[in-house]
Amino acid sequence: MNRFDLLKLIHKVFKNNLIICNIGLPSQELYQIKDQPNYFYMLGSMGLSSSIGLGLALSQNKDVISIDGDGSVLMNMNTLSTIANRAPNNFTLLIIDNGSYGSTGDQKTFTSEKTVLKKVAIGAGCKNVIECEGKDTTEILSKAINDKKNSYVIISKVKSGNVNVEPIPLNPITIRDRFRKFIGLVPYL
Amino acid sequence: MRISKKIIKNLKKGGVNFFLSVPCKLLANMIKILEKDKGVYYSSVPREEEGIGICAGAYLGNKIPCIMMQNTGIGNSVNAIVSLLQLYNLPIIFLISYRGTPGEKIGAQVGMAKITKDIFKILNIPVLHCSSENDIEQIITYINHAKISESPVAILCDFNLMKDDT
Repeated sequence: MNRFDLLKLIHKVFKNNLIICNIGLPSQELYQIKDQPNYFYMLGSMGLSSSIGLGLALSQNKDVISIDGDGSVLMNMNTLSTIANRAPNNFTLLIIDNGSYGSTGDQKTFTSEKTVLKKVAIGAGCKNVIECEGKDTTEILSKAINDKKNSYVIISKVKSGNVNVEPIPLNPITIRDRFRKFIGLVPYL
Repeated sequence: MRISKKIIKNLKKGGVNFFLSVPCKLLANMIKILEKDKGVYYSSVPREEEGIGICAGAYLGNKIPCIMMQNTGIGNSVNAIVSLLQLYNLPIIFLISYRGTPGEKIGAQVGMAKITKDIFKILNIPVLHCSSENDIEQIITYINHAKISESPVAILCDFNLMKDDT
């Protein structure tokens, strides 16, 4: 199972939740599987999916899931300490760990060598850290979202590899406005 | 403390209700004020671009966010400003201690001070340089400008402004 297979499995869980999706292939693959207004596709700022999701979860009551990657978390590792100390219960960080920089040609990341994100997250102070196989992710993610008393960090281990997808054709302002409308914030649309 | 109180008061008057900081000595009094303020969200954050990401999310969730940092932190922020805030038109307020300006005791800070305004110029971000108490009165105007233009603005607080704010 690679990231695309995983996204195909878990996207049904995303229905009513706010999704921040990582830049590059994760967003493009998710768009190809099924585009929805509750998806905020990142078109830049690699590393900040977890941060954008955290800020969003702190600011309103809907459940927020940040879809991140191992390469992106390695780029913004301090995010785990901020999440440990500040994440509200409506926030879930899903790290799709395929051990590679998928969008740039599948170069290996350090999680394919010695770095274990689960241990990093625990060391940063995160309380509910679950590492799982791709096939078990839907169930674990559903439980995490439905648990209104805890925030979770889920590390889903999948194989590297991508499918052929096109860049997302949406204008960034369109992504922003329909996302905020889904939250209930853009009455003029 | 009087100047710091006035800066925070004007930011709040402008509608800012979500504050993050990568701390700086010149911002310390403002941070003390915010830590005690139950009416706004405040947290420190380890790194500037991460803070910009959190502020971006907070704006999507209907907050008016402000990120506080030293001008050195602007060097860590450029990509997040361009490919997140400016790409999606997210009006985040930057409150920046202008280290390295006259009054600075640490020579190593001067380098970033020399290029700080040029960085904002390249980024097309309006800058309010606060060097005296009167300048602080412009803060609300700049926040309103951020809102109507849906783009970031920067407020620089230099040593001349902060020197007696004990």
